[in-house]
Amino acid sequence: MSVLLFLIPITLALSLLGLGCFLWALKSKQYDDLEGAASRILFDDQDKNSDKK
Amino acid sequence: MIRACSHCGEDTKKIEEEFCCLGCSAAYKIINKLGFENYYKLREIDPKIRKIKPEIEEEIDVAEFVFDQKDGSHSVSLMVQGLHCAACVWLIESILKKQQNVITARINLFRKTLFLRWKGDAKDGNKLIHIISEIGYKLLPFDEEILNTSEKKYNDSILRALAVAGFGVGNVMLFSFALWFYDVGKMGIETRNLMHFFSSLIALPVIVFSSRPFFSSAFKSIKAGYPNMDLAIAIAIFLACAVSLLETFRGAENVYFDSAVMLIFFLLIGRYLDLKARKKAFAIASEFTLLAASFGRVEDGKKIKILPSKQLQEGMILLVGAGEKIAADGVVIDGESEIDMSLISGETLPKKIQKNHEVFAGTINLISPLRIRITKSTQNSLLSKIISLSDGIGSAKNHYVRVADRLSKIYTPAVHLLAFLTFCLWCFYFKIGWEGSLMNATAVLIITCPCALALAVPIIQTIAISNFIKKGILVKSGEALEKLNEIDVIVFDKTGSLTIGKPRLCDVFLLRNEEKISLTKEQKNFYLKLAASLAKKSRHPISRAISASYLGDLEELQVEESQGLGLSSIFENKILKLGRETFCTIAGGNILRQAQHENNVTLLNDDSQLNCFMKFGEDELVFFFEDEIKTDAKLVIERLKQMDKKIILLSGDVEKTVERVAKKLAIAEFYFEQTPVSKVEILEKVKAKNKKFIMIGDGLNDAPSLALADVSISFAQAADISQNIADVVIQGQKLQPIIDLINFSQRAISLMKQNLLIALLYNLVAVPFAIAGFVVPLIAAIAMSSSSLLVLFNSLRMNKGVNL
Repeated sequence: MSVLLFLIPITLALSLLGLGCFLWALKSKQYDDLEGAASRILFDDQDKNSDKK
Repeated sequence: MIRACSHCGEDTKKIEEEFCCLGCSAAYKIINKLGFENYYKLREIDPKIRKIKPEIEEEIDVAEFVFDQKDGSHSVSLMVQGLHCAACVWLIESILKKQQNVITARINLFRKTLFLRWKGDAKDGNKLIHIISEIGYKLLPFDEEILNTSEKKYNDSILRALAVAGFGVGNVMLFSFALWFYDVGKMGIETRNLMHFFSSLIALPVIVFSSRPFFSSAFKSIKAGYPNMDLAIAIAIFLACAVSLLETFRGAENVYFDSAVMLIFFLLIGRYLDLKARKKAFAIASEFTLLAASFGRVEDGKKIKILPSKQLQEGMILLVGAGEKIAADGVVIDGESEIDMSLISGETLPKKIQKNHEVFAGTINLISPLRIRITKSTQNSLLSKIISLSDGIGSAKNHYVRVADRLSKIYTPAVHLLAFLTFCLWCFYFKIGWEGSLMNATAVLIITCPCALALAVPIIQTIAISNFIKKGILVKSGEALEKLNEIDVIVFDKTGSLTIGKPRLCDVFLLRNEEKISLTKEQKNFYLKLAASLAKKSRHPISRAISASYLGDLEELQVEESQGLGLSSIFENKILKLGRETFCTIAGGNILRQAQHENNVTLLNDDSQLNCFMKFGEDELVFFFEDEIKTDAKLVIERLKQMDKKIILLSGDVEKTVERVAKKLAIAEFYFEQTPVSKVEILEKVKAKNKKFIMIGDGLNDAPSLALADVSISFAQAADISQNIADVVIQGQKLQPIIDLINFSQRAISLMKQNLLIALLYNLVAVPFAIAGFVVPLIAAIAMSSSSLLVLFNSLRMNKGVNL
């Protein structure tokens, strides 16, 4: 059972990381405009192409 | 061939021309020069949104709205008018990012706003904005503070709490699963205690963080003197934690951390659903049109400054372009125009104004630019007076007790009493000691904790509200949904609610010797074509009505507009004039009186001119208009009567017009020439009889009545303030949604009640086990999630069998 002593902290660390990421995303206003983000992704490629030209 | 303008998509009006104006051609060149020609291929023009036609504008100064950031950069928030699709977003962002010094340029498509941040001089912002206005988008600065409302903060805090609770549930469950399915014999007491310890380590901070919404609401309810559902939740959470912590330290067998965290998680999901549905409705209900009116362009020496309306002071000179909203009360010092007063007075036709006339905030300048000297600061304007009248009424409104709260009034004390009795039973009758007794009492609280109850209402609400949105009905509060079920009286405003609120052409006659002569179809068509060709460009409601009534090809005419009088041109070498009788040099007074007398053509107001004349060579014509009753009004009123609802018509218009509409729709009870205050008085009488009523209105003059109503319904084209007050905003010109609303809310309420019943029955079965002390954490968890699931599945039946 002593393996638990490693596994539990690892699990916790990983899930805390995930939580941290979410909270960061929320704080940087990524959840304010879900519509815009959904369509903006379609245009980023265009942008790069026109830069290359 | 006439083609659409390559830049803005409007008709070019000239043959073989690529652009409609110089501005568009310049904008097209700019976009091509910057290498964004792809934009034209990718975009989709939404006909409902303002065309991206550049307007020649004075230099604007947004200095008042610029924020200085900590790192020395500057930022400003702007509303963008003319955002059609994602391609527009891409174009604006890309162009701005190519500019020097721009750090961030981000458009929020949901809110239609642009956030701009740049290095260097604060004044550079004006240049950046100028670039975007040059290609045709209109940018209006606003105060970011307005958006950081408490609503938004609350929304974020719920989402944060939800995330933390989700994290807690996932991790605590890892231990709980092990604890549920392995007994002490297999894992040993030390391991079990270690797992309890870890559970508490995760659960306690999570619970402290994410249960705040419930605790704060519970405290509020205690202060207000009536316990709500949140109080029961808060106590259950607190006891579950306290007991589990105690058990952990004692090294005892059962802890309830998983139940407590799961409870919070489920409840937060319900809260979040609730918020999300409302947020969506709010965003669409164009709160931004309200912002659009919240600034004014003020002359400051030779420059034009944009000021928030709060800062508009007496004596300033306000500039109002054609089509713009007037931001403050004042007196015209320059210019002649017509203004749309319909939102203040309910009159259909615009009022002609010139020098020295008074104008009011909230009205719309229709024809030509005006210079106005402000006579009252915004706080004292007529608009704010009406708003504060409405606010006063709104806050004095009776507190409505919602279905779930009504239940919790009985439920909460009953559950607590039950838990207390359980404690007494075990402690004093079976004498197992206070720890064990407390444990059993807590189990009762956990098992009865209104998890399913708390989900029962928000789920239905979310489904109902999103269904309504698809139909173009925005329901802004769940409360309205419940109240709709108890309505006895329905009160309509006339202009804009029962009628369309805009003139519509109803007939054309030829005038000869002061007699009116009917026309053949061909003749009618010919004259209409001429009139429509003249009226094409004019913004006057009558011109628009003429344009709307003729759909064929138009003649190309050089039209001259005489402000407030009419339009003139030359066609086939004959003079063509459209407008008032004096303008067309026609003596038509007799005809009008005659028409009014016969009452076969309707004049809207006695003194208003719901008619216009045309002279073409020697032919004299008269056009009659009416404020058309909405097509489905009659049917809807009939249906409402069948539902045993009483109908009242309440209008600011004159007796004759109101009576005519009432007669046509068979409404027995009607009131005319009402002011905003007298409307409220009438409605208070209705209220005094203990009747619940819906108010349906669109004007500013209806705003106080809307605030008073149990449920208020407004329209998407209504005054901003009315839309903001109304519980429900309907898009489009139909009244049918009112019936849908009532029917569908009935179904929603019955499902809500079913849900509550299921949750209650569940508790009824589970409680004896809890009292008997059989409920170990596994059973508590199963009971909680399965009752929530059952409620969820029942709610999904909502969409079945209803054509919405």
